[in-house]
Amino acid sequence: MKIAVCAKGEGLKALVDERFGRTDQFVIFDMETKEVKTVENSAKNAGVGAGGQAVRILNEENVEVVIVPEVGPKAVDALKAFEIKAYRLGESKTVEEAIKKYESKDLKEFELNVVKGGLRRV
Amino acid sequence: MKIVVLSGKGGTGKTTISTNLAINTKNAILIDTDVEEPNSHIFMKPEIEDTISVTKDYPKVDIEKCTLCGKCGEFCRYNAILPAKNKVLIFKEICHDCGGCQLVCPTGAIKYEKREIGNIYCGTSKYGVKMKYGDLNVGEVSGVKIIENLKELVENEELVIIDAPPGTSCSTVAAVEGADYAVIVSEPTPFGVSDMKMVVEMLRNMNIDFGVIVNKAGLGDDEIYEYCDEENIEILQQIPFDLEIAKLYASGSILSHEIENYREKFELILNKIKK
Repeated sequence: MKIAVCAKGEGLKALVDERFGRTDQFVIFDMETKEVKTVENSAKNAGVGAGGQAVRILNEENVEVVIVPEVGPKAVDALKAFEIKAYRLGESKTVEEAIKKYESKDLKEFELNVVKGGLRRV
Repeated sequence: MKIVVLSGKGGTGKTTISTNLAINTKNAILIDTDVEEPNSHIFMKPEIEDTISVTKDYPKVDIEKCTLCGKCGEFCRYNAILPAKNKVLIFKEICHDCGGCQLVCPTGAIKYEKREIGNIYCGTSKYGVKMKYGDLNVGEVSGVKIIENLKELVENEELVIIDAPPGTSCSTVAAVEGADYAVIVSEPTPFGVSDMKMVVEMLRNMNIDFGVIVNKAGLGDDEIYEYCDEENIEILQQIPFDLEIAKLYASGSILSHEIENYREKFELILNKIKK
C-alpha cells in the first residue's frame, strides 16, 4: 500500500507542509517495498480547484492513504470519489515522523463526511 | 454615450460621483456594476419595477454514456470537472460556463443545467432617474455574467452612467469595456494614487479616454497632482475633504441635490466630458 505525505522538500527527512492542495511536494512511501518517491504537486499554482487536482495526482500514483494538515471541501469530495483515505498530521514535523505515527496508529483519520465550509456548495 | 466611473482603490467616491452625475443629467440611466457590493441604490432609492434572475450553466454528466476517458478534466482550465473512479465530480461554483467540456466529450455525455448566481434589479429612483443594479449571490466567485447582462439591458440608452467595481480585475474590465469615457475618482493619498496608476494603465490598454476627479481634496499629499501633470491627465473637478459632505453621505443623501453649488460643479464635469 502506498501512503503520501504533504511535504516541503524531497524524501523522508523533508518537513511536512501545512497545506494539502497547494503543498510543494508529495512524498510517497510504499509500505511493502519501503520505496520512497517524491512527486511535485503540479496543482499547487492552480487558480482554483487545486485540491481536486492534487487528489487526481495521488490517484495516478496509486496512493491509498494521504497524511494531511487540513483539506478543503472540494478536496474532500475528490478524496471520497477516488476512495483515498486521509489522516491528520497531528504534531508530526517531518515526513518520516508522520509515517511512523501512522504505522503505530497514532494519527486520527480525517472524517470525510463532516467537512463543511469553503465556497458555498450549491 | 457611456460614461464609466472607476477608481482602483475602494472607498474613494465612485458611488458619490456616479449618483451625482446621474441625477444632473437629462435622460441618464445609472447602472451599478459593483455586483459584489452594490450601493448606488441606497442613495438613489429606486422603486423596483422588475427583478431579473441571472443564471449560469454548469455541466451534468450522464454516467451511462460516460467512459471516464478524462478528456473533460484535461480540458477544463478551472478544474471544475474531475473524472474520478466511477463518477465525474462537478464543482459548479468554479465553472466558468465556457461550454468546452461538452465539445471535447467524445460520447456526448455532457449536458448543461442552469443555476442562479444573482439578480438584476430595475427601477426608477426618487430623483426620477432610471437605474439598474446587480447583486451577486453570497459565495459566488464571479459577477462578470451579471455585469455583461446589465450592460446589454442598457445598450440602446442615450446616456449611461456606469458605477464600476473597485480594482482592475475581470469585473472592472467587464464594466469598462465599450465605454466612451472613463472618470477616475481618486483621493490624494499614496494608496489612492498607487491604485489609480493601475487604472490609468488599464484604460490606456483599452484605448478609453479618461479624466480624473480628485475627491477628498486637502487630504494626503500632492503626488496626485504631480502625477497627473507628468502624465498629461486632465483633472476634471475637485471635491474637498469636508465633514458636511461626509454627513450627507452617511445619511444617504445626494450631495448636489442638497447643496446648489455642487450641482453646478457636476454640470461642469458633464460638459467637459461631453466635449
